Amino acid sequence: MSAASGPLEVRGVTVRAGTITLVEQASFDAPAGALTALLGPNGAGKSTLLRAVAGVERPASGSVTAGDDLLALPRRERARRVAFVEQESQTELPLTVRAVVGLGRAPYESVLGGRDPDAADAVDEAMRVAGVAGFALRDVTTLSGGERQRVMLARALAQRPGILILDEPTNHLDIAAQLEVLELLTDLARGGTTVLAALHDLGLAAAHADNVVVLSHGRVVASGATPSTLTPALVHDVFGVEASFVPNPLTGRPLLATRRPAPGSRPGATPPGPSGTV
Amino acid sequence: MPRLRLAAAASAALALALTGCAASAAPATTPSAAGAVTVSNCGTPVTFDAAPQRVVTIKSTSTEMLLALGLGDRIVGTAFPDGPVPAEWADAARDVPTISDFMPSEEAVLELEPDLVYSGWESAFSADGAGERSELASLGVNSYVQPAACRSAQVPGKLSFDEIFREIDEVAAIFRVDDADLIAQQKQQLDAIVPDDRGLTALWYSSGTDTPYVGAGIGAPELVLETAGLTNIARDIDMTWTSMGWESIVEADPDVIVLIDADWNTAQSKIDLLESNPATARLSAVRDKRYLVLPFASSEAGVRTVSAAASLVDQLKELRIG
Amino acid sequence: MGRSRTAARPVIAAIVLTATLLASIVVTVTIGAADLSVADVWGSIGAHLGLGPSPVDALRDGIVWELRLPRILTAACVGAGLALAGAVMQAITRNQLADPYLLGLSSGASLGAVSVLLLGVAVLLPVAAFAGALAALAVTLGLAGALGRITPTRTVLAGVAVSALAGAITSFVIFWTVTGDSYRQILGWLLGSLSGARWEAVGIAGVALLIIGVPLALSGRVLDAFAFGDTTAASLGVPVQGARWMLLIATALLTGAMVSVSGSIGFVGLVLPHAVRLVIGPGHRALLPLSALVGAVFLVWADTLARSLFDPRELPVGIVTALIGAPVFALLLARRRSEA
Repeated sequence: MSAASGPLEVRGVTVRAGTITLVEQASFDAPAGALTALLGPNGAGKSTLLRAVAGVERPASGSVTAGDDLLALPRRERARRVAFVEQESQTELPLTVRAVVGLGRAPYESVLGGRDPDAADAVDEAMRVAGVAGFALRDVTTLSGGERQRVMLARALAQRPGILILDEPTNHLDIAAQLEVLELLTDLARGGTTVLAALHDLGLAAAHADNVVVLSHGRVVASGATPSTLTPALVHDVFGVEASFVPNPLTGRPLLATRRPAPGSRPGATPPGPSGTV
Repeated sequence: MPRLRLAAAASAALALALTGCAASAAPATTPSAAGAVTVSNCGTPVTFDAAPQRVVTIKSTSTEMLLALGLGDRIVGTAFPDGPVPAEWADAARDVPTISDFMPSEEAVLELEPDLVYSGWESAFSADGAGERSELASLGVNSYVQPAACRSAQVPGKLSFDEIFREIDEVAAIFRVDDADLIAQQKQQLDAIVPDDRGLTALWYSSGTDTPYVGAGIGAPELVLETAGLTNIARDIDMTWTSMGWESIVEADPDVIVLIDADWNTAQSKIDLLESNPATARLSAVRDKRYLVLPFASSEAGVRTVSAAASLVDQLKELRIG
Repeated sequence: MGRSRTAARPVIAAIVLTATLLASIVVTVTIGAADLSVADVWGSIGAHLGLGPSPVDALRDGIVWELRLPRILTAACVGAGLALAGAVMQAITRNQLADPYLLGLSSGASLGAVSVLLLGVAVLLPVAAFAGALAALAVTLGLAGALGRITPTRTVLAGVAVSALAGAITSFVIFWTVTGDSYRQILGWLLGSLSGARWEAVGIAGVALLIIGVPLALSGRVLDAFAFGDTTAASLGVPVQGARWMLLIATALLTGAMVSVSGSIGFVGLVLPHAVRLVIGPGHRALLPLSALVGAVFLVWADTLARSLFDPRELPVGIVTALIGAPVFALLLARRRSEA
């Protein structure tokens, strides 16, 4: 799609809501051309961190750079570099799929809606890549959850971003659609896009992500290449389950096996120190 | 929604006023054996066993009717006057207490323990005003509407002086007084009127800026204009008053404009408007300032209708046209 | 494929509607209570545009140039402004029942008008109405802001409260002061009327439409982005809070200007955007300019009926807009359902 922006570097990002600190001093890298999964238990602050990285919500402190300081860019300029797909994008506006994907060209139009010469090509390509060209004229409010998720992904792709950020893109999808989306994200990463996605399914992350960033209680507790970072010990510490990785007999990729820990050992209950695991 | 409520408020006010103007031909009074007088008033039969002694009047037409009949001492309170009482009755009116400058409430009326509430507008008899007629009746209080203002019982016909005199007779019968002098005086004044014979057309401009509210073809304004020898440009509309677009008025280009003067809408404010609007400033009557002025209280059918016509004729004599 | 069809339809519709609007103005200026021929009317207008002498006398010339033409042009501007403001208000508040007056504007304007008409406050009526509308807007936004972050729901609720208050004060003033038939003016005003529209009204409505309406009509993309929530809008480069404030205030200013010359004409801002949506779809980029055009054509004809149907009497145009508009809208809805 568009030229790679170089690695995404997140440094010391802190997000507060009033007096509560939601994310504290988060730092990690998401390499260009790779799929990086943001992992963590519910409430760890994944969505908040992603919103801050995407520039949708301004962090109290910290920096997000990819060559340039992304947070300092004008909004529209940033929207051409970084696309963000929300966990749930509901609307009551019965726009066609094509019109919704076309919204991705908004950052390229003049403020009062002046024409964008690349719009048609960018929208066609995004719909083809995301696999929604077949229902381009359907009303978006009539789509299934999986179809709508792909439409929003196509909308993000129409922005031709160097960095694609997604919040739980597999949420509410059936297993086939989950695999489809992850393969699509992997392909995009192979094509040079920096892809950062929050995932709640550790198994999917273990099998598909090149890198993982693990968040617990608002802090990054581990980050790095998946095999060396997402260890049974880390899963035990952060998620509170016993884990083991075995090769998937069908694909050969890591397959996560889990069980509840023996009574008495509850390591996930206390926040682990940042030193813990790598 | 609030806007609707506003409209409702305004339409209540509309109803209040629309019912205020109409002519009627109610049946004559029927004195019974016992000396009681029964009238059918706006479709409501009202029986007066004796002449009313304590009367609350609402609107100037009712007050002035009683003053003209020499019954000023029967008025225990008056409300919603349209303007000052003419000089001839000013002395008699001096002692009449005004209970409200607007529509009085039922309590304020009943407090005076009247045996009759006499209104110039039919709409006064509602729960929002002086009370429903049936409710007043159940409390032993008679109600009476100036018949020319009846709208609920029948579609009003074209107003005539015969009807106005009949209405005077009816009120005189209710109060058991002789109105021969008053009628004679009114007829004499009427006979003395020499209508203007120049074939002039007229606009009766009551109020309104965007869409003027004008005297139309069947009520007191038309009767006054006809009597003065003027042709009303709105005579073809079968209503007492009507709204009329500026375009129609400009097209008709009346020779004279009759301006109704009230505290709340003065003749001068209407002159200012006519002269400031580029389209109406070109009207012949405006260019030559051919304005005739009548007080609002004389624009509703009653004892001042004859004098209104006489006043127009006098004012017309002053105008040089052509 | 579908792309050419969906892209071409609004453009064709815009061309057809613009032509219809121009034709409507040309035709309606020849209709009225006064008996004037088409040649006289256009000869008179031509004379004012410097094309030879007027073929009619000064009075008839005044009917065309001082009464009819400014009124028709005001109707076009007000219709366009109200339909546009309604469409934007429905989008920002995500409320199908939103109309341009939602934030207390019409009640505020009415209060301003009543102050002039009944209390004798010595300012020009449009100025007082505009000031009333802006005061209501300020109180509404202040109230919504006092409740926390400005959200559509809070803003609408604050608007309802302000409307109720201003409405109550207006009703109070009417009941307290109305004498004789002075209520008539305020009634005409509350129902909406263009009968007082002169060249000053054309100026007010026209300038507002040009300065506020045109940029607003081009803001469809931003409203589309809002449809998927604030986060998605922000990720598309829209400054969410700032844009919402700007759109709200621009809509309010536009509405205030329109109300100040015409009173609160109902129906146009509420229903016309829905009607346009039923025909061309919900995308705001096409919806906003087309709503404005449809609003202009609709109000020009509605007002022509209001002033000529019962000639020489006149109806407040607000009655006509509802009488014509409601059945037309019902037909559109029924047709839509039978197609679906």
